[in-house]
Amino acid sequence: MGLFDGFLTWFGGLFKKKKDFNLGIYGSPNVGKSTLANKICKDFSGEILSKVSEVPHETREVLKKEKLTLQVDGKLLTLNLLDMPGIATKVDYHDFLQFGIAKGKAQKRASEATKGIIEAVKWMDTVDAAILVMDSTEDPYTQVNLTIIGNFEARNIPVIVAANKIDMKNSNPAKIKEAFPQFEVIGISALTGQNVNALYDMIGKKVS
Amino acid sequence: MEIEFISKDALAKEGNALEYILSSIEDGKIVVLEQPLDSESEKTLISKTMDKIDSKFSGIEISTLRKSKGIKETIFEMLGERRGLTVIGPAKLVKEIKQNPEKINWKTK
Repeated sequence: MGLFDGFLTWFGGLFKKKKDFNLGIYGSPNVGKSTLANKICKDFSGEILSKVSEVPHETREVLKKEKLTLQVDGKLLTLNLLDMPGIATKVDYHDFLQFGIAKGKAQKRASEATKGIIEAVKWMDTVDAAILVMDSTEDPYTQVNLTIIGNFEARNIPVIVAANKIDMKNSNPAKIKEAFPQFEVIGISALTGQNVNALYDMIGKKVS
Repeated sequence: MEIEFISKDALAKEGNALEYILSSIEDGKIVVLEQPLDSESEKTLISKTMDKIDSKFSGIEISTLRKSKGIKETIFEMLGERRGLTVIGPAKLVKEIKQNPEKINWKTK
């Protein structure tokens, strides 16, 4: 490459748009992904991103907070935060009826949930890093968690495991550490904010 | 209940293995594969399942046993050999699943 070509490449690079960094929040339904997305957004932008509900599949499309700037470990990180629909291998509209949702609305919710899962799965090829949220009151060794981890490992994508709901009496984050010893597991409560600073520090280490 | 055991050679002969598996599951069968599905196939299977869900078919349950990753297993994988097994069945048939890296336990309804 000649000196002039080199100068052009350098000069062009000054104006080239930097690729956005996409951080995806993944996990099964009802593990607290949207609660965590809201906590992160609230802490760093003062706004919330997602509606939260005890009814599974409340988030049925990928919700994106663009250009969120996180101040972690003395550094500023600008990224797009993506709250993903919960990934599942089954969606049964009957499950929604128990929450008092009418049949027609339950069927619509189920149909939207399946589309949301497809969208979340597609994004697995695009995100640059992931927070995999697990419910620390439940058995973590599920096929959905294994599939998510397997896909990110295959792409060498950094994954932080957030063992959520440590404010609950029957929480057992140690079980998650035992099941997935290859990952950094941070016990948090997205609801109360307990230990989320440790999660932010880990994001700083993994993302920068 | 019908259980279909499929060897890796038989599955390799199927033009579209995932479609074949899903059609067996839609017929109400539990399918046992001689090898674990790779992560990419698991992901594709989830998407294909979501496309098929309606008021009659609510999806699948799946459990995979994989040999833990070591040097030997990595070499096997590089040679295209995945050791373990996969169990897939209709979600409506399965009541409870317990699994760990060494054992899968399915209770049906």
